Amino acid sequence: MQLRFTSVKNGNHVLFREFSYIKATPHNRESFIHIFWKCFRQIGKNGDLLAMSEYSSLLQLLCPDFPAEMVQNTARIVLIDDATDCLMSFSDFIYSFQIQFFYEEFVESISAIYQDLLSGKNPNTVIVPTSTSVEQLSSSANDKPDVQEGVDATIFCECIEGLCERFKHKYPSTVAIKEILDNTQRVSFYGFLMALAKHEGINQDIGALPNKPDLLIDPEMDQELERL
Amino acid sequence: MRSSKQRKCSSSGRFLPSAVHSSYKQHLAAVSSLLPDRLSRRPLDLRLSNDLKNTFNVDALKTQPCTSGETGSLRDSSVPNFLSATSFRDDISSCPERLDLDRRGLTDLPDLQSLRELHQLNLQHNLITHLQHLQSLRSLLLLDLHGNRLIDMCGLSSLRCLRVLLLGNNRIQRISDVDGLTKLDVLDLHNNQICQIENISCLSRLRLLNLSGNRITRVENLQGLNSLTELNLRHNSITSVTDVEHLPRLQRLFLSANNISSVDALACLWDCGSLSELSLDGNPVCVESCFRQSVLRCCSPHLQLLDMKRITEEERRTASVSARKEDEKKKESHKQAAHKERRRLAIQNAAQQWEGLKANLELPAQNDTKEEVSPDNSPAHSPAQTNGNAQETSPDEPRRLSPLTVSAGGSDTRLRSNSRPNSPRDPRLQDGSSGSSVQSLSLSESHVAELDGDTLRLFGPGALETLERCWGVQTAASVSTIIFRFIHYDSIIPSFLRIRLKFPNLTHLVFMECSISQLLQLAALAQLRRLEQLTVHPEGNPLLRLTLWRTFSIYRLQQLNLHKINGTEVTVNDVIASERMFGALGHVAATETPRFRLLLLLEESRKRQLQFLMDGRGRRSGQSPEDLKENGRPMGDGVCRGLFNYPSRLTDSAEDSASDRSVSVQQYLQGLIQSASSRCVKADALQKIWPLLFSEIIRDSVLDMRDTHTYRHNSLQRLTHTH
Repeated sequence: MQLRFTSVKNGNHVLFREFSYIKATPHNRESFIHIFWKCFRQIGKNGDLLAMSEYSSLLQLLCPDFPAEMVQNTARIVLIDDATDCLMSFSDFIYSFQIQFFYEEFVESISAIYQDLLSGKNPNTVIVPTSTSVEQLSSSANDKPDVQEGVDATIFCECIEGLCERFKHKYPSTVAIKEILDNTQRVSFYGFLMALAKHEGINQDIGALPNKPDLLIDPEMDQELERL
Repeated sequence: MRSSKQRKCSSSGRFLPSAVHSSYKQHLAAVSSLLPDRLSRRPLDLRLSNDLKNTFNVDALKTQPCTSGETGSLRDSSVPNFLSATSFRDDISSCPERLDLDRRGLTDLPDLQSLRELHQLNLQHNLITHLQHLQSLRSLLLLDLHGNRLIDMCGLSSLRCLRVLLLGNNRIQRISDVDGLTKLDVLDLHNNQICQIENISCLSRLRLLNLSGNRITRVENLQGLNSLTELNLRHNSITSVTDVEHLPRLQRLFLSANNISSVDALACLWDCGSLSELSLDGNPVCVESCFRQSVLRCCSPHLQLLDMKRITEEERRTASVSARKEDEKKKESHKQAAHKERRRLAIQNAAQQWEGLKANLELPAQNDTKEEVSPDNSPAHSPAQTNGNAQETSPDEPRRLSPLTVSAGGSDTRLRSNSRPNSPRDPRLQDGSSGSSVQSLSLSESHVAELDGDTLRLFGPGALETLERCWGVQTAASVSTIIFRFIHYDSIIPSFLRIRLKFPNLTHLVFMECSISQLLQLAALAQLRRLEQLTVHPEGNPLLRLTLWRTFSIYRLQQLNLHKINGTEVTVNDVIASERMFGALGHVAATETPRFRLLLLLEESRKRQLQFLMDGRGRRSGQSPEDLKENGRPMGDGVCRGLFNYPSRLTDSAEDSASDRSVSVQQYLQGLIQSASSRCVKADALQKIWPLLFSEIIRDSVLDMRDTHTYRHNSLQRLTHTH
């Protein structure tokens, strides 16, 4: 029993477990990300670029039933929804994977909000049933030309904050979110996620991965390889 | 041949067409013997010189009316006619039973009503076109009308005594009106225009039938000719021969110069028991090599002359021997062709099922296709067949698969259980037909298993169970390559252990269309003892789209000593690269996986290894799992790699027990939690009360000990009481 709890503490307990187990708690998720990093940081070292399907297969080595959609979503973040068959570097992938996996529910909800905003519905505003304000809203929605990407950053920020107040699952700190969204006027969904992935503060909050410059350092393995 | 038939007129009297066989002469002689002997009157010669002509009574040219209104007309023709009325009358009066009226240029039959006793009437070489006035000739035995211009045979029916009827060299188009001629012995219709044999069924006494030189295409309608001994059908256009077997007395049959193009067309001749002479030359079939042999093979032993050549015993014997060989060869090639066809179909079916299964992978309604597959295999499954062995297994041979052995080569021995197989390459197999060193182990509608020298090929999921059978040691030792195709990889995995045990010399595995899609699946190959080559075809194996598969297989299967993967050498650099790529993974996995997990994941052999290591180390130096981290390497690379195993057992084991278990587990945990929390509560409570308790205890004891004398006394008393 003690061993088991030790392993939980160390974060090893998620090795070779089924996906439902890994997903179950934030601690599990974080442990899994950590282990994935430990196992495969060597890949990044060679500068190899791998495709989405290959990352998926690597994940499946550690968790045989890891779903491919998660990897696909991660790929979308990295490649900004473009050509998901492109190759990705290890560091890009793992940071995006972290966001996608650790904050999975959060990402889903944000996506819904974003879609609503795109189509013009603002969930935060209260519609007063006077003809003028409704017209105003609809006209303002129609004013926005379709070419313009993304949604207004401040509105988006407000919505997210509103979500976070009543959100039951884990979410990135509102400070960090504000930081990101204050810098820009408009923001696209994947751009936002990418920014989350790159944010150092969020990374440290999660605690699974080291900072980007330290990502590929693995002194133990280097020793082993020199022995070969 | 025709030309020889057109005989030039000779000075001799009697003119017999040479087409008629010599026996005909005999016939005629026999018939003539019925006639009373008399001086045969020579017919007047056609070629008398002019001088001689003048000597004769020129008046003879003048016709004088005959007794009974003779209608024979004299015509101007190139042929000089001599008709002496007197001689005519002389004929009648001197020989009332025979009348020679040949070569007289007659265009019609003379009116012969008064000649009721006439036995022989010669009217050959005239110009007669119709038959008339024959009703009264009721005693006529021989009627010779050859060399005329007859178009049909109408008018013959009243000649009920007729024995010989010669109608050659006319223009007759149909055989007809012979129903009344029941006593007919010889019927000669050569060189006419007859297209069909017909209307002769009532001629039950007919012994010789000459239909040569006509336009007959089919030999048919020969029923009823119960006495026929010779049938001459030369120089027609015959293509098919039937009905000949119905002629019980037929001895000689002449079919030369026709259109028979295959020996099979003569099939009915072989049933003819009495046939002793046969001529077939001049037919297209004679061009075939071994024509004579093939005829001799099929004919009855009574046949003595074929195409005028006597048939010797020697010939017959060689013919039958070669016949048997031919048959065998044919059977063999048929069998092989059929086998090839079945094999092709089976492979096609396997491929189709493969496609079907792939398409239905997401749908849960897989059961239908799966059920299709299994009934195909079990009843249709045929035990091992061998080439060169014309045996089929008997139906009472037990169809259980395990006792059957693979007989590699095989003489005429049936497949018996526990029989040792012969050497894998039976010399007989190799000098069989081309490419037949392939030995089929199992063939059904949708799977094929065959052994080709040292390669074992398996198509379709049903083929896998050939691996379950008992294999002879030699045969199994000869297998060095196994090719899997159209079989789902997951279903092959359970067989790997068996393969490892059975085929000690296996060096190469090939996977085509096996739907290998995960890296972990390759790990299942580690169950083999050694493998030098691994080939995975990109078609049908989505795994090959990943670039990492090769590296992973080198890493995971290092202990197998792979030399080549998909044809390319595995170099030392490759090995190092794979270590670099996956080494960390293995290291982490080995060191960080909690011990109980390790035991769960590793195979038996490794478990024992690991167990030993763990316990040993623990005992010896009291090392904890943490210390093992540093010494991960000595645990053996095998252990690290061994962690990556593809679960061969399906994980859909009983879910009911799992849910029961989870319920009880939850209850247990709840109990634990409750006891832990209650203890916590108690501890909290104790914490709160403790100061008070403590001070009370102290106060009590201080009060007790205030009076030291009484205290001492009481304590001693207490002590003595307790003892």
